[in-house]
Amino acid sequence: MEFLTALSIGMLFAVGVFQVLRRNLIRSAIGLILMTNAVNLFLLAAGAYDGFIPAYANQLEGTPSDALPQALILTAIVISMGATSFIFAVLVVISGRYRTSDADAVNGLKR
Amino acid sequence: MSNPHLVLLPVLVPLGGGIIGLLLRGHHRLQALWSLGAMGAALAFSLALFAEVWQRGAPVVFQSGGWPAPFGITLVGDGLSALFVVMTFIVMVAGVIYALGSRDAVVGYPAFYPLFLTLAAGLAGAMLTGDLFTMYVFAELLVISGTMLTAASDDPYGTEAAFKYYYMSLMASFFMLLAVGCLYVAYGSLNMADLALRIAADPAAPLLLPAIALLSAVFMVKSAVFPFHFWQPDFHAAAPTPVSAMLSSVVVKFGVYGFLRMTTLLFTAQAPMIRTILMVLGVAGILFGGLSAAATHNLKRMLAYSTLAQVGFVLVGIGWGTSAALVAALVFAFNHSLVKSAMLMIAGFVASRAPVKSAAFDVVTGVGRALPAAGCLFFIGGLGLAGIPPTNGFISKMLLFRSGAAESHIGVLLLIGSGGALSLIYTMRAFQQVFWTPAAAGDAVKPAGDSLLAPALLIGLVLLTGFWAAPLVASAQNAVGWMLAPHIYIHAVLGG
Repeated sequence: MEFLTALSIGMLFAVGVFQVLRRNLIRSAIGLILMTNAVNLFLLAAGAYDGFIPAYANQLEGTPSDALPQALILTAIVISMGATSFIFAVLVVISGRYRTSDADAVNGLKR
Repeated sequence: MSNPHLVLLPVLVPLGGGIIGLLLRGHHRLQALWSLGAMGAALAFSLALFAEVWQRGAPVVFQSGGWPAPFGITLVGDGLSALFVVMTFIVMVAGVIYALGSRDAVVGYPAFYPLFLTLAAGLAGAMLTGDLFTMYVFAELLVISGTMLTAASDDPYGTEAAFKYYYMSLMASFFMLLAVGCLYVAYGSLNMADLALRIAADPAAPLLLPAIALLSAVFMVKSAVFPFHFWQPDFHAAAPTPVSAMLSSVVVKFGVYGFLRMTTLLFTAQAPMIRTILMVLGVAGILFGGLSAAATHNLKRMLAYSTLAQVGFVLVGIGWGTSAALVAALVFAFNHSLVKSAMLMIAGFVASRAPVKSAAFDVVTGVGRALPAAGCLFFIGGLGLAGIPPTNGFISKMLLFRSGAAESHIGVLLLIGSGGALSLIYTMRAFQQVFWTPAAAGDAVKPAGDSLLAPALLIGLVLLTGFWAAPLVASAQNAVGWMLAPHIYIHAVLGG
């Protein structure tokens, strides 16, 4: 199970990196979202195998799971939600200004 | 008198000021003055924090919510962070003063001043926190505010530059989260003092090296160190003048702060390796930044490349890692913030008086002939960048070269000396082009532009710290004394 989790997180990250490197700006923004999720899953995996019952719940037998990675992920999800919406807002402006979603055509700064 | 809440105020005041500033969005003048007041109050509180740290002779620690150290969120004001926060707010106040006198359209937007305040809050928070994850959160606040301010710039390429930078910094924040995850898996803590103890107790954890590599990459992106610099000239040149003055001076110092914490607190056992990398990259940055600055065609871009070179000097100081070199690095970082923000503001001032609003050399050539005051300030600032007395740049370069000579790093000294000569070449070439060469016929200088008050204040500080450097050097020495004895920090945070 641990191996499968690691493998799937790695694959998600790899797909994210591949998408980020695409020329199409929308695809690469989607790649960023995939990478965000991969990182969040990595954080979740950091605390997933210590215990399997909810923390701070009484009357349950066993080792409680570590609540801190979950709190970190909640914060990270909120931040990445804002980040993603901002990236798409900038993309809207760029697509209006350059009339393209090709990364090579958005090169006003080079000239 | 002990008041741990003092360390909270430089973060909370600009943050709360930003929120109230948003409520005042209908009253532009009131909002601007309110922001100036909030930033000034934050400067006052950061000075008070600095005085408290200095008087007490121990770090000021605030445990939020009353949770004891490794469990709650800790804010720590030690010599290093208090000095950097004071530096931040001095420059930020000057930035707000510049924005008050600016004629850009972007300063009229209702979100401009609130974003400026959250930029300051993010930077101060990232430097004052004693917890890696909180540092990530504040760094995100910093990045998002800075990017939004740049995306709204008057420069038509602002959005593109912001987009580019945002990609880079999102990658950096993924790396930071991965590093946080690695360290948490390996050591089960994120409090920096606690981590320092646990890493020292078990330096063989397999995830330690990846965490160091990821964190180094993060801070390199944040301070635009040589191989990660490519977004920086675009981003800093396209930002609105008051914002680019902040980004290129204090915001890049966040990475410097991170490296100082990495080498002197978190990874003291692995510090020699990190230091070697930093020194090599610093020298590369000095040479590359100097050459690019000498070759570029835009005044603001030249100053942005010069930041690359000057951060290189700071990194060389961190890379040498001796007490004298660290003092030099701190003084250099402080002085560079003052000089570079003043220079970028003067560049923005010149661009605002140019026939077309641009800082490209073919537009601004000769514009400065009608602006002797700006020319005077630019000349002094140029001396400061090149490290010639009576400016503070001389003090910082002298300290750095002396610390290198004490350890007889002759080869590196020669390389960075030639890099320093490059900075004289490019600043004086820019001075000659903008303020000396006659303008092309038909180009009239605009009668009104931005106000010159903020850069004048900063250049005044540049001269003041040049003539009277003793307090700054003494506080840097104090900070370095604590940095080289990390048990003081750890003891102050964890108690006992």
